[in-house]
Amino acid sequence: MADPTIQAGPGEVPSIAEEDAAFYHQSAVNAAWTGARLALGALTFIFGAFAFSYFYLRSVDSSGRWEGSGYHPPSMVTGTVIMLLVLASAGVHYGVLQRIKAGRKRAWQRGGAITLGLGLAAVGLQITQLATLPFAPGSSGYSSVFTGFYPVFLTSQLAAGVWLESLLARSRFIPEMSFVEQPPTHAEVYRVQRFQSSLSAFSTVWSYLALMSLLFWLLFYVF
Amino acid sequence: MTSGTTGTPAAPPAPGAGGREPRHWLRLFVMWFVLSLAADLITWYVWRPHLPPGDMSTSATGQQFDFAVLAVTGFPVVIAVLLYFAYAIVAWRAGPDDEGDGPPIHGHTKVSVTWIITTSLIVLWAFAFGTFELIVPAGAGSGEGPNPVWNLAGKTSSTWAPGQGDKLQVQVIGQQWAWTFRYPQFGGMESSKLYLPTGTPIEFHVTSLDVIHSFWAYQLGVKADANPGVDDVAYTTVHQKGTFEVRCNELCGIWHGAMYTYGNAVSPARFASWATSVRGKEAKDGLLRALPKYALTYDPTVISAIGKNLPKIDGITGAAGYYYPPSDPVTP
Amino acid sequence: MAVEVQPERAEPVSASTKPYFRRMGVHTGLAGAVAGYFLGHWLGNFLSSGYLQNPLSDSNDVPIVLGYALATIGWLLGLGVFNDLFGTMLGRPFPDREAADGAEAGLGKYFRFTLNHKTVGIQYLFGMIGYFLTGGLFAMAIRTELLSPSYHIMGPNQYLMVVGEHGTMMMMMMSSVVLGPFGQYFGPIMIGSKRVAFPRLEALGFWLTPAAFVILLSGILFGGFPTGWTGYEPLATEAKQGMDSFFFAFGLMAVSMTLAGFNMICTVINYRAPGMRWGRLPMFVWSMFSVSFLQVLSAPVLLGACYMALTDRTFQTAFFTNQLGGSSYLYEDLFWFFGHPEVYILALPGFGVISEIVSVFCRKPLFGYRVAAAGMLGVGLLSFFVWQHHLFDSGINPDMRPVFMLTTELISIPTGFIYLVGMGTFWKARIRFSIPMLFALAFYFNFLIGGISGVFLSDVPADVTEHGSFFVMAHFHYTIMGGLIFAFMGGIYYWLPKMLGIKLNETLGKVHFWTMFIFFNSTFLPLFALGLMGMPRRVFEYANNLQTLNDWVSISSYCLGVSMLIFLFNVVMSTLFWRQREAGNPYRARSLEWQVPTPVPPANFERIPVILASPYEYGDPDAPPVADLNPPPGVVSSAYVGASRGEA
Repeated sequence: MADPTIQAGPGEVPSIAEEDAAFYHQSAVNAAWTGARLALGALTFIFGAFAFSYFYLRSVDSSGRWEGSGYHPPSMVTGTVIMLLVLASAGVHYGVLQRIKAGRKRAWQRGGAITLGLGLAAVGLQITQLATLPFAPGSSGYSSVFTGFYPVFLTSQLAAGVWLESLLARSRFIPEMSFVEQPPTHAEVYRVQRFQSSLSAFSTVWSYLALMSLLFWLLFYVF
Repeated sequence: MTSGTTGTPAAPPAPGAGGREPRHWLRLFVMWFVLSLAADLITWYVWRPHLPPGDMSTSATGQQFDFAVLAVTGFPVVIAVLLYFAYAIVAWRAGPDDEGDGPPIHGHTKVSVTWIITTSLIVLWAFAFGTFELIVPAGAGSGEGPNPVWNLAGKTSSTWAPGQGDKLQVQVIGQQWAWTFRYPQFGGMESSKLYLPTGTPIEFHVTSLDVIHSFWAYQLGVKADANPGVDDVAYTTVHQKGTFEVRCNELCGIWHGAMYTYGNAVSPARFASWATSVRGKEAKDGLLRALPKYALTYDPTVISAIGKNLPKIDGITGAAGYYYPPSDPVTP
Repeated sequence: MAVEVQPERAEPVSASTKPYFRRMGVHTGLAGAVAGYFLGHWLGNFLSSGYLQNPLSDSNDVPIVLGYALATIGWLLGLGVFNDLFGTMLGRPFPDREAADGAEAGLGKYFRFTLNHKTVGIQYLFGMIGYFLTGGLFAMAIRTELLSPSYHIMGPNQYLMVVGEHGTMMMMMMSSVVLGPFGQYFGPIMIGSKRVAFPRLEALGFWLTPAAFVILLSGILFGGFPTGWTGYEPLATEAKQGMDSFFFAFGLMAVSMTLAGFNMICTVINYRAPGMRWGRLPMFVWSMFSVSFLQVLSAPVLLGACYMALTDRTFQTAFFTNQLGGSSYLYEDLFWFFGHPEVYILALPGFGVISEIVSVFCRKPLFGYRVAAAGMLGVGLLSFFVWQHHLFDSGINPDMRPVFMLTTELISIPTGFIYLVGMGTFWKARIRFSIPMLFALAFYFNFLIGGISGVFLSDVPADVTEHGSFFVMAHFHYTIMGGLIFAFMGGIYYWLPKMLGIKLNETLGKVHFWTMFIFFNSTFLPLFALGLMGMPRRVFEYANNLQTLNDWVSISSYCLGVSMLIFLFNVVMSTLFWRQREAGNPYRARSLEWQVPTPVPPANFERIPVILASPYEYGDPDAPPVADLNPPPGVVSSAYVGASRGEA
């Protein structure tokens, strides 16, 4: 791939400051990629702690109270709606990510706003569900894992939402032309590329959260 | 400007005997062999009989043997490493004005491979030996959970009498901060004293009423965690009469340090007469009717016949009656 | 957490000239913490008064936990941690403050949320020394109580409080004792980078440690916690409010460890200078890299366990209450799934520091570089598969014990690599007995004893007697104190001239080393015997016949404490009063951190260096210098695309 960040023409030698800036620009772009994958690792281990608790308590069934007597499951409808909202949000974002790659910033901004809206709706609905559960948190093993897991999950969704919001805010200051053709200055190029690397890192995390939402929906509502 | 020190070229080797480099490997090997042999012989013949936890029971004897074998395995390794470093410090120390560098040796495949193979063999030996010593003596005195895979041979019947060769079952109940011992084969009688017959396979069932404790009969080489609602089985056979310590080995609250008692290993006949007399006394007090023979939980709402007014045995116990409040969680 | 994964930087900003008290710093942080605590406490009472109680302990923990939570947030807000985040939410890119923060004169920058990795390193250094000495004082208290076989100085509750504070302080804080100061300071320099990948996460990682420190100590105000550093359930649910401080502080440190490791990995992968191939990476960086993976992957599990324990105590979930469908085994599993990698989080940095020191003072290349790197990675990988050896007698999965015995013993093979490398490096070397080298030698001695006793512990039958006894305690003090702390001390003597431009006094340093080495062994070697003679951990009462040994240990431990005072005296006098300057490269070391000027410039290097050779090429007259610190224009840009992806 031809490197777009060094502006010096053939035969010209870039200045030292330019070279350093280009080097660390490339490092930062790569670090966003690495960081997103690493964040998925860390998140997997914290969610994994809950999945482990789920399977452990379910198989141990202490005092016969994995579900307990007089057990009421959480509302299947609410749970499914929340899960579908999260999936829809990730789907929308996946779609509009292709738009911005094609240079259409405004389409992404609209789609990003919808992504954020759907995500927040899921979080809000989840909070409502937690506040009106038909069981006490400690009434069984299931109820513990359920009430313990979702606050953690929605916190990570909210954190990712803040990230998306900051991307939306930053995109306002990048001219749409910069996404279509190479901007004239280094600073502009770096700005666009870093925005894009951050965006694709976000997209990875957001899709991952949707996947987790689906997996835990299967655990809590289906199996 | 470039930077980074390039060391001065290596000086010629330090003058050894007759200007030749001494044969370090040979010297090291001889010293290592002599020292290791001495250490191992002393360990095996002098130290082994004094190694903990003694030889009061089969599990204790087994552990003593394991310690000795591991020590015999470990000493040559320790001696090899320490001897090497000591030798290096003496042989290859730089003089006060020596500014030179050592030879640029980046590695030595043969040495590395030998090292890796040797350590791997030692590790595999330790693993094979440990597994054998765990499985053959039926868990080696450690807690094996509710369904032990490695059982102690012998039959179990609902009563126990000396000379029958039956296993003696003892339920060990931990609570903050006392031990209670229950003998299901004696009508479920319980005692704060642990009496065990010698020459008899013993099956401990360790459980807890509140938090995690750990039953450690030090001289018997028995250790099993007491988890609430869990039956943790451990086996041993005592082969010496005498007293042994029973301590709690898992931090269980403020009086953890004081949660100890002593047990007695006595002859089977004496054990039978002790157990029968305790059983008779508890039957007279009405305790045996109220207690289950064997249970993992002692919920007063389940055993409704038992209130707080149970006759206490030896002043303190009665696992079911001795709740400290409020150990029973409120059901939401 | 994932919010800050965006390393965009705008134009460099210049340093602020406002006086300290008019900018955000520790003072505003403290104000925020106090306000946050009261707000949280009030909110907790408001939400939960009357109906939410912890049924096992009969206490209402919601106000306290919310108080801790909001105090932490208030502390970070007051420090200004979130300022850049708020800015970016308004569309401003992150300001590039790293160089400006590092260039600031005076001590003020050390008491502020600053982004330069060297400032963060110094903050960590002094923080860690403080935490270590605090934990050490608790140890002195424990040994004082153990002078006699029954309780005499402290009551049983107080004794357990001291035991718990000592263990927790050491275990949670010392996980950062090398990665914090030396990793943050030298990691980027050693890979030839001017900066780190995520400076805000790195600095946040440090600023969580004082919060965790204060919160953990605040447990004393509530009577402490009775569980020791493991926090076993259901004792922890039954305990009074002091328990909250344990779980909250440990959870905070889990976050801090995750962030520090996260930044380290991203930096090492992406910010290596051109020519810094994986095969030229200094061994210290390898150890930091491998430790960071352990931190990023295992600390979240601890965070989960602490969170579950706190919800058990506040929202009344029942994760760990057997009667209600929970399981106390679950906690043991989750805790040790973190807890065993944690042990190697504590051991691996020591290997790294020692490898650096040994090569320099033997004046020889590191023997078997690849073996050493493989050892680091192998220990890291295997450490995720051994955790159940802490539970051999617990009755969990008893039939799996041979497997865990095998994995535990297997880990001694990669650990043995470290010895192979050390011993190979000593072969025909030109050994200089500087103070760092003395500490390195002591490290090999102590860690050998710790490691061999570990083989005894991994053997299930032998473990029956050793488990939970003083034998275990001696074992892990030999690996952590004898290994990690000795390496840390060696690192201080080795690197302080670079970090502060000041050399510690040599004579006092030698006195410190010898007293520490002798009394360390005299304190902890008898503990093996005590454990084998039947003394369990965390007890204040023991058999009368063990008193002589216990008294010996206590007196030795006081001497060890005095040795620490000698060290403290040396640090204080050398840095504040004697100020013996040391500049340049006193050890003629090759590695990159010694090639930059002292004090290290804010951006480390004038420009990106091009790495030409391994840092260990001692004794080879033809070896090229380790790096070209001022490569001609054009070299970096032709090399960086491949180098930054590790392909060079």
